[in-house]
Amino acid sequence: MPSFFKRHKRKKIDKVHNNKKEQTKKEDSKENSSQNAAGPLNRSLAANLEVIKQKTGSSPDVIIRRLMVGGGPPVEIAIGYVEGLVEEQSVNDFLIKSILNNDDIEVKNGEEILNKIEKDIIALGSIERVNDWEKLFQSMLSGKTIILIDGSSEAISANTRGGEKRSILEPSTQNTIRGSRESFTEAIGTNIALVRRIINNPNLWIEPRKLGTITQTDVSVMYINGIVKDEIVEEVRKRLDNIKLDSILESGYIEQMIQDQTMTTFPTIFHTERPDMVAGNLLEGRVAIFINGTPFVLLAPAVFIQFFQTPEDYYIRSDIATATRFLRVITFFISLMGPAIYVAATTFHQEMIPTQFLLIIAAQRDVVPFPAFVEALIMEVTFEILREAGIRMPKIIGPTISIVGALVIGQASVQAGIVSPAMVIVVSITAIASFATPSFPMAISIRLIRFLFMLCAATFGFYGIVLAFITLLAHLCGLRSFGVPYMSPLTPFIPENAGDTIFRRPWWDLRERPRLIGSKNTVRKGNNQKPEPPAAREMSSRKGDGDEI
Amino acid sequence: MEQAKISAYQLFVLIVMFTVGSALMLPLASEVKQSAWLAILLGMGGGFLLYLIYHGLYQYYPNILPTEYVQKLLGKTFGRVLGFIYILYFMYLAARVLRDFGEMLLTFAYEDTPLFIANALLIIVIVYTVRKGIEVIARTGELLFVLAGLLAISGLILIIASGVIDTANLKPVLEKGLGALLKTTATQTLYVPFGEVVVFAMILPYLNKSEKAKRAGLLALTLSGVTLALVAAINISVLGVSLLSRSQFPLLSSIQMIQIAGFLERLDVYFMLTLIIGGFCKIGIYTYVAIIGTADLFNIKESSQLSFPIGLIILLLSIIIASNFSEHIQEGLQIVTLYILFPMQVIIPVLLLVIAFFKNRKKNNN
Repeated sequence: MPSFFKRHKRKKIDKVHNNKKEQTKKEDSKENSSQNAAGPLNRSLAANLEVIKQKTGSSPDVIIRRLMVGGGPPVEIAIGYVEGLVEEQSVNDFLIKSILNNDDIEVKNGEEILNKIEKDIIALGSIERVNDWEKLFQSMLSGKTIILIDGSSEAISANTRGGEKRSILEPSTQNTIRGSRESFTEAIGTNIALVRRIINNPNLWIEPRKLGTITQTDVSVMYINGIVKDEIVEEVRKRLDNIKLDSILESGYIEQMIQDQTMTTFPTIFHTERPDMVAGNLLEGRVAIFINGTPFVLLAPAVFIQFFQTPEDYYIRSDIATATRFLRVITFFISLMGPAIYVAATTFHQEMIPTQFLLIIAAQRDVVPFPAFVEALIMEVTFEILREAGIRMPKIIGPTISIVGALVIGQASVQAGIVSPAMVIVVSITAIASFATPSFPMAISIRLIRFLFMLCAATFGFYGIVLAFITLLAHLCGLRSFGVPYMSPLTPFIPENAGDTIFRRPWWDLRERPRLIGSKNTVRKGNNQKPEPPAAREMSSRKGDGDEI
Repeated sequence: MEQAKISAYQLFVLIVMFTVGSALMLPLASEVKQSAWLAILLGMGGGFLLYLIYHGLYQYYPNILPTEYVQKLLGKTFGRVLGFIYILYFMYLAARVLRDFGEMLLTFAYEDTPLFIANALLIIVIVYTVRKGIEVIARTGELLFVLAGLLAISGLILIIASGVIDTANLKPVLEKGLGALLKTTATQTLYVPFGEVVVFAMILPYLNKSEKAKRAGLLALTLSGVTLALVAAINISVLGVSLLSRSQFPLLSSIQMIQIAGFLERLDVYFMLTLIIGGFCKIGIYTYVAIIGTADLFNIKESSQLSFPIGLIILLLSIIIASNFSEHIQEGLQIVTLYILFPMQVIIPVLLLVIAFFKNRKKNNN
């Protein structure tokens, strides 16, 4: 039910949008025209090299090497690449060396030499011909090597991508005890390969594209054909194609451009730096979006409960996994409402606290000059400052902050009578609980909402908390991620998929993929996969009663 | 009508939350004392019949709202008038429940808070939810149902564990005779909460599988009837008749009797949670139904436009409806049941069903 206000806004937005669209169209056409001016390549090598020089502003990292080839009248050719983006070794060995070794070839003109080089000389796997400037620059700037030949209006681009890359390390944000130790790097090729190594199936499909009008960032959409729902892939394509940004520097740019709803603090697209997590989600029918330059891969559609699950839940026994998931749900509630409940109980509902406990709290609060809400606010804000500073701090002075933090928060403030010890305990537990949530964006969103809960608790006690909680539920129930209800399969309740929510059914019983996400092929495994011990060894077994002895 | 669908399970949950909602807090059928739980079960039986009547009407017109099909049954003018009367009825009952809710909240927890503020806060949350449509209401209801279920089960365990239940308090059964029991059923428990299910005539058209409406509805009524009867029986056996008749909120009094290990005591928060969740669901459904009814009757395309004005009307109505709580209760017992609930829940639906039967038979014959 779109609302009254939203509709009006939308009209305005649409208008603005249209205007913008027209503007961008104009800009686009301008840009195109300036690029089209370059158009196809020239036949003359000197002219081509001049254009390259001019276009790149004679940047020193664009390397051009001129060679003479051919036994008849020698033809001049040029090899161009960008230093640092290519693997210099392969440029030297497989291009320059092999061309120089073959310089006695007998050819008449540029076209023939092009054919000769393409077919006989280059010892590289992936090469293609280019004949316009746009493509030439694109391939050169993405790490390919260009071979231009005097007298030919075509060039060869050979894939020599390489250069310095960070090696594959352990994940730094999503750690597990059991499971793969690999994490993604900044190079999109490596990342895609990491997933391919896990899923050895031709149905793992990848769709490349370039986004960002200036940065021309490589973005790839990956899914398993036959499991994923076609509508979702189509929706992802549509939303990606609608992005008109000058730059894509991190997956966050794309995440914010393609999410369903912007009026929420909750993440509606999942991101991960673990290849096994991407593989697991692809197998559930999700779509992965790889972005060059970041180790974080986006996964859509995302559901609420997913942010409380870790890949490890699937690796360890189901009973243990279920227990840890329960624990995470408890920590979710603690980090959401911990301080709020304390504030409400001490301010409005003292009668609900057991007498002994109430006496202790009252004695502690006797010296504190602030109301409970202000006290909680001081402590929470202090903690948030410490946390933020902890991220920015140089690693060497890290211990300083923990000492200062511990002393300031734990001891001095209590001794000075600014806060009560009970409040310190509440705030500490809440802080620890919020870090027990596996997903950082979810944790930070909960932390933000916690302040709202505190405010409600301070003004209306438990009534305020419960109303805030119901509002939160309604908000969550109204969210969608790529059309999938955010709270599914909890609500709308899907019994077949409820085994993988707060519970995790054992693998031999976990038959179905999430229904709303992947539809085509819902069954994950065969029937009757429950492992059974050999019948003869068991006391209760029907067969083995002494037959074998 | 908005283009949304709810599942049979969601309908089940909504009916349970709606009927148990505020009825759980109020003393039901207190005249018959120990036999209150019997009166509730009998009321449930009557509720089945009433639900079958509403369901019968739904069978004739499974895809349109009652505000629309009364126009087909009674003609444009009379149909519109009757539709309008039903909208007023929904709004009035929403206001009544809101008043009940606010008064209860103030009496036991917030003595110094103005009634208007307490009611306004709840109605703000309701308007926020209702604006998002029936799907979101149903999903929120599903989650709250789980929460309420956990509360109910843990509360039951706590009450049993604290050993305050004395089943001797339940005797004698039928002290006042069968006549009094039937009379209480026919004048009270039949209408509140079971007859109130008439609002679901407005929600049934949203069901995605219409053949499941009957089963979901009857199961929901059974669950809520049994729950309410169980709570009434527990209240009597914990408090005893004399304490019960003096208690304003029997459930609260029962909960306050819980004492375990010298630590788990004064669990008023249980009562408060139940009260707010129940109030939210019940008032929310009434408000939503009033909104879609108005939108349908006056051909308003975007029914969510109406949520603020109708929410405001319900809020104001809940304040001006009575000058104090005893007047409010008195009105409820003496006027509302006889002159509003009885005709709106029983007489008119029966008449409509009869008309629909003859109209459709004629059509079939032709």
